[in-house]
Amino acid sequence: MRTKNIYNPKKLILLVFIGMISLSGCKKFLDINQNPNNPNTVDPNLLLPTAQIAISQVVGNSLQVYGGMWSQFWTQGPSANQYKPIDLYAPANTDSDRPWANLYSKALINSQLIIENKGSNLEFLKGMAYLTKAYSFQIATDAFGDIPLGEALHADNVKPKYAAQELVYDSIFNYIDKGVALLSVTGSNNPGAQDLFFQGDVAKWKAFANTLKLKAYLRLSKVNPAKASAGIAAVYATGTPFLTQDVSIKYTSVGGNDNPLYNEIVALGRAQNLVASSTVVNQFVANGDQRRFKFFVLRSGQTEITSIPQGSYNANAGKLVSLPAGLVGANPSTSSNAALAPVKLFSSSESYFLQAEAAARGWASGNVTTLFTKGITESFTATGITDATVISNYLATAKDGPLALAAAVTPEAKVKAIITQKYYAMCGFQGFEAWTEYRRTGYPDFLVVSVAPPTGTTTKPQRMVYPNSEAIYNGNFPGNVDIFTPVWWAK
Amino acid sequence: MKKLILSLFVFLSIAAAALAQDRTITGTVTGKDDGQPIPGVSVKLRGAQGGAQTGADGKYAIKVTAGATGLDFSSIGYVTQYVALKAGNVISVSLAGDSKSLGEVVVTANSIKREKRTLGYSAPTIKTAELTEGGNPSAITSLTGKVAGVNITSTSNTPGSSSRIVLRGGSSISGNNQALIVVDGVPIDNSTTVGGASDLASVDFGNRGNDLAPDDIASVTVLKGPAAAALFGSRASNGALIITTKSGSKGAAKTDITLTTSNTFSSVLKLPEFQNEYGQGYYTGDDVGKPLLVNGVYQYTNDPRENGSWGGPFTGVVQPWGQAIDGVRQQKAYSAVKDNVKDFFKTGFATDNNLSFSGGGDKSTFYLGLNALNSDGPYPGKSDTFNKYGVRFNGTADFSNKFSAGVSFNYVNINSNNVGGGQGNSSVLNNVYQTPRDISLTGLSDLTNKYNGYGYVDGSGRRHDGEYGYYGAYTQNPYWILKNFVNNDNVSRVTGNFNISYKPNSWLDVKERVGIDTYSDRRRLLSPKYSFIPGDDGASGFYTAGDLRSFQGGYEIDQANVTELVHDLMVTARHKFNEDFEGSLMLGNNIRQRSTNFNNTATNTAGGLVVADFYNLSNSNGPVNILLDQMSKRRLFGLYADLNLSYKNFLFLEATGRNDWSSTLPVKNNSFFYPSVSTSFVFSELLKGSSVANWLTYGKVRGSWAQVGNDTDPYQLTTDYRRGLISGGFGTTILPFGNVPGFMINPTLGNPDLKPEKTSSFELGTELGFFDNRFSVDFSYYKNNSKNQIIAVPIAASSGYSFGLVNAGEIQNKGVELSLRGTPVKTTNFSLEMYGTFTKNKSMVVSLMPGVDQISLGGYSGMSIVAAVGKPYGEFYGLTNQTDDQGRTVINASSGLPVRTASAQYLGSYNPDYQASFGTTFKYKQLSLAVLFDTKQGGKFYSRTKNILGFAGSSAITGGERMNQIWPNSVYIVNGQSVVNNSVTYNKQDYYTNSANVFPGVDIVDASYVKFRSASLSYVFTKDQLKRTPFGSLAVGLYGNNLFIWTAKENKYADPEINSSGAGNAQGFDFTAQPSVRNYGINLKVSF
Repeated sequence: MRTKNIYNPKKLILLVFIGMISLSGCKKFLDINQNPNNPNTVDPNLLLPTAQIAISQVVGNSLQVYGGMWSQFWTQGPSANQYKPIDLYAPANTDSDRPWANLYSKALINSQLIIENKGSNLEFLKGMAYLTKAYSFQIATDAFGDIPLGEALHADNVKPKYAAQELVYDSIFNYIDKGVALLSVTGSNNPGAQDLFFQGDVAKWKAFANTLKLKAYLRLSKVNPAKASAGIAAVYATGTPFLTQDVSIKYTSVGGNDNPLYNEIVALGRAQNLVASSTVVNQFVANGDQRRFKFFVLRSGQTEITSIPQGSYNANAGKLVSLPAGLVGANPSTSSNAALAPVKLFSSSESYFLQAEAAARGWASGNVTTLFTKGITESFTATGITDATVISNYLATAKDGPLALAAAVTPEAKVKAIITQKYYAMCGFQGFEAWTEYRRTGYPDFLVVSVAPPTGTTTKPQRMVYPNSEAIYNGNFPGNVDIFTPVWWAK
Repeated sequence: MKKLILSLFVFLSIAAAALAQDRTITGTVTGKDDGQPIPGVSVKLRGAQGGAQTGADGKYAIKVTAGATGLDFSSIGYVTQYVALKAGNVISVSLAGDSKSLGEVVVTANSIKREKRTLGYSAPTIKTAELTEGGNPSAITSLTGKVAGVNITSTSNTPGSSSRIVLRGGSSISGNNQALIVVDGVPIDNSTTVGGASDLASVDFGNRGNDLAPDDIASVTVLKGPAAAALFGSRASNGALIITTKSGSKGAAKTDITLTTSNTFSSVLKLPEFQNEYGQGYYTGDDVGKPLLVNGVYQYTNDPRENGSWGGPFTGVVQPWGQAIDGVRQQKAYSAVKDNVKDFFKTGFATDNNLSFSGGGDKSTFYLGLNALNSDGPYPGKSDTFNKYGVRFNGTADFSNKFSAGVSFNYVNINSNNVGGGQGNSSVLNNVYQTPRDISLTGLSDLTNKYNGYGYVDGSGRRHDGEYGYYGAYTQNPYWILKNFVNNDNVSRVTGNFNISYKPNSWLDVKERVGIDTYSDRRRLLSPKYSFIPGDDGASGFYTAGDLRSFQGGYEIDQANVTELVHDLMVTARHKFNEDFEGSLMLGNNIRQRSTNFNNTATNTAGGLVVADFYNLSNSNGPVNILLDQMSKRRLFGLYADLNLSYKNFLFLEATGRNDWSSTLPVKNNSFFYPSVSTSFVFSELLKGSSVANWLTYGKVRGSWAQVGNDTDPYQLTTDYRRGLISGGFGTTILPFGNVPGFMINPTLGNPDLKPEKTSSFELGTELGFFDNRFSVDFSYYKNNSKNQIIAVPIAASSGYSFGLVNAGEIQNKGVELSLRGTPVKTTNFSLEMYGTFTKNKSMVVSLMPGVDQISLGGYSGMSIVAAVGKPYGEFYGLTNQTDDQGRTVINASSGLPVRTASAQYLGSYNPDYQASFGTTFKYKQLSLAVLFDTKQGGKFYSRTKNILGFAGSSAITGGERMNQIWPNSVYIVNGQSVVNNSVTYNKQDYYTNSANVFPGVDIVDASYVKFRSASLSYVFTKDQLKRTPFGSLAVGLYGNNLFIWTAKENKYADPEINSSGAGNAQGFDFTAQPSVRNYGINLKVSF
């Protein structure tokens, strides 16, 4: 049956021909790799809110918990487990992965991409990005000590070297100066509503820059007082006012736009992980401080804030302990309005306490008592206490109030009174900053060692552990540092 | 078995059309040994042109032309028989089996049928009978233990659950490692997407490879190495399963109607071991939190809200428990409910019905299969149901003008409800396991009972909508969860292909095939909105309004649409150079397109639902949350060639080459070529006539070398921007923020210079048959290296990015595979066949990227599963107890509790050291019994079941004396020296209930097991027995699968095969995963 098939060669030629057409059409056929889901470029104004939200997430959630517990406003609740390693002084390296990544690959990189943008009339935006970057780097170094700085934030360098904390601080001052200079350029476009901190108010940004610089120089008070005093003198010399308002993002009850700590608590099934620590509650009681009923909530049937000693969750199983109030975001109940709680990147009372300290140390002008008292009244106002008699009663009678400042003779004693008051004002609002100032000054002096760590532990944490991700992936990781080792400015 | 291969072979060997004829001869061809009809027997005229084939019923009809003197009946596997033509028009013959030939035909890449002897690589084939004998509704799981070199992990073994199939170890660091599944020449999608609200609350929605009905399958060929699968191109670098579905046969005398019905019962295979000494509560603490001793007796608090069994020893005394509702608390004896968890589960039931029609005319065949599988799993109620309906049509037709065509179509619809796992709100098991040992679970089943429910009616008929009567303040009633949390899945899928063949002459063959696989997978996740305070009126002394149970509720829709189109054009030319030497060359073109569309939308994360019990996105309390909106399209264009040469039917050589152009790679690198070469040498042909041939019936050695290139996922080349989203760990801040939009740079760096991945493989093997093939051996050694892997390596976040896409890394897999098969006894009525497999695969991550030692593949609760340099692929990595140089546990000298390691440690791999199976088939007359055992030895798994049972004080290890325990074999360190601990004690409650003490490494458990994988007993009625019935054939059987398990001693927790991440790469995680079940049932197969 082998008949010769005359169609065959033609058929083969046809096939080869089809094949060649296919090949030449191939390029177009395969040119479909443009991502329809995400853009490859965006307006830099769109990056600013992300950077601001990211720093607020770090300060308001993860660092708020560490700071809130290590400054002993809060302790681990007996009916839950989430933060036991913090009270145990045994945080895992992996626990630092998230805040570190949110700082570097969210807050800082998006600020950096704004700064590097080639567009025109972006000076204001870039100024804000520089200041966000400065603030973020300070948070990072205060938490971890030496950190990647100059070699950081470059896509082509996956093992950035670590910079000494002293150098980080120098850079922070430099970034602030650059930011202020850019904010002074005329003719720049204003990001307006894209700026979640000040809605484009350049004057407020300058006050932010000034207050940030004051805070940063004061951080050097122990390690390098000469530099601190000179720097502060220069800050005052500019004549720019300091912040008279909180710096915070206005959260709403919309899921994903709510207070980040509350949002976390919701996602954790509203477990009662954070409860009142006796360290701060006992002092509030001793001072007759009405703010305690604002920072914490009474349990049903109780008339006083119930607290447990720091780290004593095991000994208090089943005990009804007061929870932080919705005001500070750490309350699990929907009705507490915790969703709306602000994350304070700066508070107005903090601004006054910083100025009071600069004056008390003799590094700046200003009436210490006035500034100190203003700090206290701002704090009362921030908790919603507007009754003048409650405030004046506190000012007149509280042992740690103006009485303490009046009794103080040395600058150190004045600083003690100021930082102790600042500590009260920061209860639940600014846990990380309170803990950081404790590390710098040793005040307040009534903090205890958590009872959770192994018997014999006598020291308190001085830094956060480096993230596991750096230890594993950064070839220039300098090695873990014990959490009880002070950072450079606390030495 | 042979018969089924033959029915596939039917239209390959069809001869040219017959010419004019005088008469028609008909008859039936049966097997001499069993009397059963043989399909696909070639019937050829001797002395004239013309031929026919037998149908599925063994019948044939042939038109006899002038000059014909007789008929030759030939069929692979049978001795050819000649019958001279006589006067009658009926010739029926019975063929004797030919054990020597082993001329098995297997279906290889691109649906090309080849004689097994010609293959230079291992390609074992499983037939329908073996596949369905264990009654498992998953075709993939049914392969377990049947083939060497195949690692199948079957998770819960319920209908619709995931099963993962990996051939010769995982070769891809972060990509898919499963074998490509090819049905009738067309690759089908085998995605797996674990559902659930978060990683911690997984719901196994199965993998799409399990959509096939096993009863529609004629055979599965396992192409284990890249050499075998080279023609499929990049996607087959992990090997392939070549599935051929059933077809009808030409010239069938009648339509074969077959009905198969299987009714399966299922029960939980392995539950944890519990302690039965202590009940609800905890020890009473003294001032510093240590256990309170009064007169030398420890004091306990019988807190009725508790989920922990840390209370006092059982007394048997009747005492009140739970809440006081209407002023009254319930009473029960304080004693263990030993079978509590076991009794919670019921016996599941599944019914699987298959009806098929097959047959054909002179020039056409058809097969129509209808399947319905309805299952209700072992959880109480109807919360775990799986309903699958399928229809398949396969047909072929020959046209007179040398064209023939075929069409294959399969529609599947699945509707299932799945129970949540993990530790989320919807996890039933998490609440079952945290029920104190003295509280009866089944006693909680009546949700209308005021002591059990949420929102109840009290004794006076008053409603308490916002109050609960359930005892637990930290857990929920599992029956209530089953009723209120719903994870529904609806899959609608069409797969199929049509093909046209043109055979202009005897040496040329042109085949065009277009296939499609398209499905919609729609999941609906319902979480109730509730807020309940305890109904207790204070009499119990424990419950307060703070014991609030509330949840904002939620509704999520996950919609996936996936469509794959495949085109293949193959032109094959054959030539016989001389008597000894012949060859064929195939040139082909392959075009592939895959489009996906995922859209996951949920109600507002924080706000949840507005109105309870109303599940619609319009009921979102706040803006709807768009979790995922992603579409993708990828294309691939390939040209390939396949050259086959054979010499004297004992020496064979095959070479293939393929060049692919992929849309996903950068233009400069998007073209890549990869070759393969393989050879087979049937040396027994040379020994014919020698004395060796007396015992060595068949002998073949084979070898192959191959490369396969692989592209990547779409859109990996650039670094894009995306909507701002900042995760705090559990919570997330999402932009836009109010009205302010925000974007961020993608933390994963794209790479514009990506190159294709390359897998090289080398394989040597032999097939030997002894004593008329009564005993046979198949052995392979292989080594695969996958290089230039495209992986998202984690990079230091201080660079500003978290991942970078690179071409780096190499994984090596080497191993041996051994299959043995023997028939020690074989008489007319009785036969005994035994077979076994042994597989040892050693995988190793050779390198990743300079400076990167490991990459995480996934993980939970501080335990990661990683690819680490120098370790097997899939290694556990986490903190664990510190040990000294003698392996003793280091404890803290004051607390008595273990000290953790300074950093995470490598804790073993999920891959077994080796796996093996043993099966036997025993036949006596019409009765046959088949059993199969299999084992995996040496792997590890992480058990959250162990963790949570320890936490709750329920597991066996928390029993015994609890106070003042010395940690076994422990030391403490003094000045760097180990001091044996004889004095420092701890109590178990302090250890187990504090998550900071129980390091993840202690929950790594030996995953070794031996399973009684399957058994079947069947009886086939003879023709005589069926004489007065309408049935053509009738068989009844009992079967079972996953019947028993024997695990390592330390595994008191779970079947090591269960898995929380379905068929993904993060294997070995029992994150309170669904328990596996044993299935057993009865089936009936009848044909008309």
